[in-house]
Amino acid sequence: MNTLPIESAANPLPPKVRFSLRRVWLLARATVTQLVRMKILAFLVVFCLLAAGAGFAFSVINPEQQLNLLKSVTLGALQIFSLVIGVVSTALLLPKDLEDRTLYTILSKPVPRFDYLLGKLLGVLLLIGGGLVVMDAVLSLVLWLRQTVLLDAYLANLRSEKLDSPEAVAQVREIVARQGLTWNLHWAVWAIFLKAAVVSAVALLLSCIASSTLFTIVITFCITIIGHGEALIREFFLTPNLGGTFNRIASFALAVICPDLAQFDIVDGVIAGELVPWSVVGDMTGIAALYVTVYLFATHLLFVEKEL
Amino acid sequence: MPETPAVSVQHLTKVFKGSLGKGAFRAVHDLSLTVHSGEVYGLIGPNGSGKSTTMKVILGLLRATEGQTSIFGVPSTEVGSRRSVGFLPENPYFYKHLTGRETLCFYGSLCGLRGRKLNERADEMLVLTGLEDAAARRVGGYSKGMLQRLGLAQALIHEPRLLVLDEPTAGVDPTGSRVIRDLILSFRARGITVLVTSHLLEQMQEVCDRVGIMARGRMVREGRLEDLVAVENQTELVLENATPELLAEINALIQTAGKDARLLRSGRPRTTLERLFIEATQESGKP
Amino acid sequence: MKRALQVAGVLLLFGMVKLPLEQGMTHDLRKRRLLEEPLRLGVGEDLGQAGLAASLGGLRGLAACMFQLRAHVEFTHVNWAKVDSLYKLVTRLQPREARYWEEAAWHMAYNAASFYLYNMELKPSLRGQLYHDHVKRGVAILEEGLKFLPDNPRLWQKLAEVHWARTKNYKLAGDAYWNSFTHGGLNFTERFAAYAWAQSNDRESWKKGYAILKRLYDGGKATPGLIEYLQMLERHLGIPVTQPAEGSRAGGTVRQPQAGPVR
Repeated sequence: MNTLPIESAANPLPPKVRFSLRRVWLLARATVTQLVRMKILAFLVVFCLLAAGAGFAFSVINPEQQLNLLKSVTLGALQIFSLVIGVVSTALLLPKDLEDRTLYTILSKPVPRFDYLLGKLLGVLLLIGGGLVVMDAVLSLVLWLRQTVLLDAYLANLRSEKLDSPEAVAQVREIVARQGLTWNLHWAVWAIFLKAAVVSAVALLLSCIASSTLFTIVITFCITIIGHGEALIREFFLTPNLGGTFNRIASFALAVICPDLAQFDIVDGVIAGELVPWSVVGDMTGIAALYVTVYLFATHLLFVEKEL
Repeated sequence: MPETPAVSVQHLTKVFKGSLGKGAFRAVHDLSLTVHSGEVYGLIGPNGSGKSTTMKVILGLLRATEGQTSIFGVPSTEVGSRRSVGFLPENPYFYKHLTGRETLCFYGSLCGLRGRKLNERADEMLVLTGLEDAAARRVGGYSKGMLQRLGLAQALIHEPRLLVLDEPTAGVDPTGSRVIRDLILSFRARGITVLVTSHLLEQMQEVCDRVGIMARGRMVREGRLEDLVAVENQTELVLENATPELLAEINALIQTAGKDARLLRSGRPRTTLERLFIEATQESGKP
Repeated sequence: MKRALQVAGVLLLFGMVKLPLEQGMTHDLRKRRLLEEPLRLGVGEDLGQAGLAASLGGLRGLAACMFQLRAHVEFTHVNWAKVDSLYKLVTRLQPREARYWEEAAWHMAYNAASFYLYNMELKPSLRGQLYHDHVKRGVAILEEGLKFLPDNPRLWQKLAEVHWARTKNYKLAGDAYWNSFTHGGLNFTERFAAYAWAQSNDRESWKKGYAILKRLYDGGKATPGLIEYLQMLERHLGIPVTQPAEGSRAGGTVRQPQAGPVR
């Protein structure tokens, strides 16, 4: 190859490198494949087995209980999956790239540090989101199958005992439909994703500060647990004349630092059959986006001058 | 109009802040150097002398505590300065699950290349570094030498004007080292500026135009290689098929007519172990 | 250091801005019953560490399911005290899930009560005592559930069934069936309210029952059972007895109506 470099000293390229969605997408894709290679998606297989087990086991309990158990177990597993993957994956990303020197080869290219951060976070969210979509589909399928089988069995039982009055049949259909597959279940999965997104952003921020991956993981989990009780802490602080000065300062500090993760815990309400209106979906999405934006901004402030 | 230097380091000082209980550490102290466009500059020194720190500041991976660094006139703190730079870190690591070609395409895309241009450049780099046969293999299966060459390829993919190579032959066998050295010489021939660090002095001697010697964070010597290594008051003669009588005559001549001159040593020149290794293991040139 | 301060400042400022947003969001979600009220802390010791962590971690539903399964196991071992205490935890974790209150009451008012009533190893007086205690426990559970879910027709219906079949308090059974109907319960609950009132000793209840059955009779919805109870009420109230429709049975013995759909 004999071509000389295109640029010359007399005609330097303009120095400004702008934010590029394409670059971010590239980094996100690389992150997804990197995490997938760590066998993280083996959990998907475990989940499918769990869903099948929860759906078709425990036949001694009544149909309504069985459907409720299936939803509780599978949605609980989705929550655990998304939180664990979010925390552990994000906490590993920066230290691993730094240790392997991959970070040097990437940042020695004209890649703004913000693009790198956003690409990494987006990659984790794509992984979690993709996993949740698949598991939601599996859950929906198992739930629909189970609900159909249970309804048929229940109605056959009523018929055999000559108790199949129209009212009894209507009541049974209503009970099974309420406990079965509804559109609200997908909003519950969306809420699980939003919570995972917030927690991942917290983990990314902490991984910039901490020198140890284990420290990042432990502290993020602590913040996650406190975040689920943040509403109590906040209400304690906002109630006047409650508690001593130290308690009020401590509760203020915790309420300010930790995100309120209980806002995304609509799973139980959905399982109970409550409707999720669009306004709630919009509010949850908006507040999650606000958390992620602010945490990402804070991470950028730290990372832009981080010694590599 | 004087040409803009490829790299300009002016009074660079880098102090690493200590963590709890430990004091600050000064890695580089008042360092100044200039790498002219088109030359091969070697930055040499023992471990811990500040070479890697200096490189990282030049590349914008670290911030200078004091002083300035720039690449072709653009401050290193600007992301845009990296458009002109290709960097090969020491012991490079790439995503194992990607093939060689995919790795090059990934880094090329980060530099803004896309489509046919990206594919063409990737192919060119694979041929240049002798990796075209391994292009479809996962990087996880590459040898050390192959990883180094892949590192060179990704450093070159966006046609940089400056190459920064950190210990490019560390851990590589002599044949692989030779290939890398030949590549460096070819870069110079094509007008690409090369800034290389190493503590393998013999290798540096073969490729560098100018060298800077660092020790304990400071530049202790700097200049053109020939000027630095020449022992001014000694002359070397290498004779072929000289008879013992001739050698005795030369020795007698030195003693009688050489004034202050004296014969320091004589004997058979030795080949290097490296040349011997290469001759013994000569293949087609592709390890 | 400067950056660290900037970051701290950003997080502090954001933290203060988010407090009212979070508060508003939480209230909205609780109003829509998508979020539970905070767990009563006194229950924390009973839950055990794992249960408490799960309940605080947004997995209250899952924790409740697990405890319910354990309760089912204890039910198979006829360990009624354990069944009761486990369902107490379940209903604390998910107080707005009617099904849990219903199941807890069913175990006490039916399964446990019958177990003790037919347990020949116990003295007869003790059997009767334990039977009544457990029926009362079942009623108490449903009443507690109705404090959380006052509009739930199924819980009212279950309460009515317990009063009808177990406590034999027909006035309370009628009141409960009526509450079920007025809160959107199935149509039969209106009739059953009247049937229960017909068997009570309260004149006001008889009047309410009569009004319902007469309306249904005049509307052409007479069944043999309805006619019998209507005639009973007419006798109680001294109203001329309605002539039965052609083909129906004459007044006399009262058939026990079916207390709602079979579980």
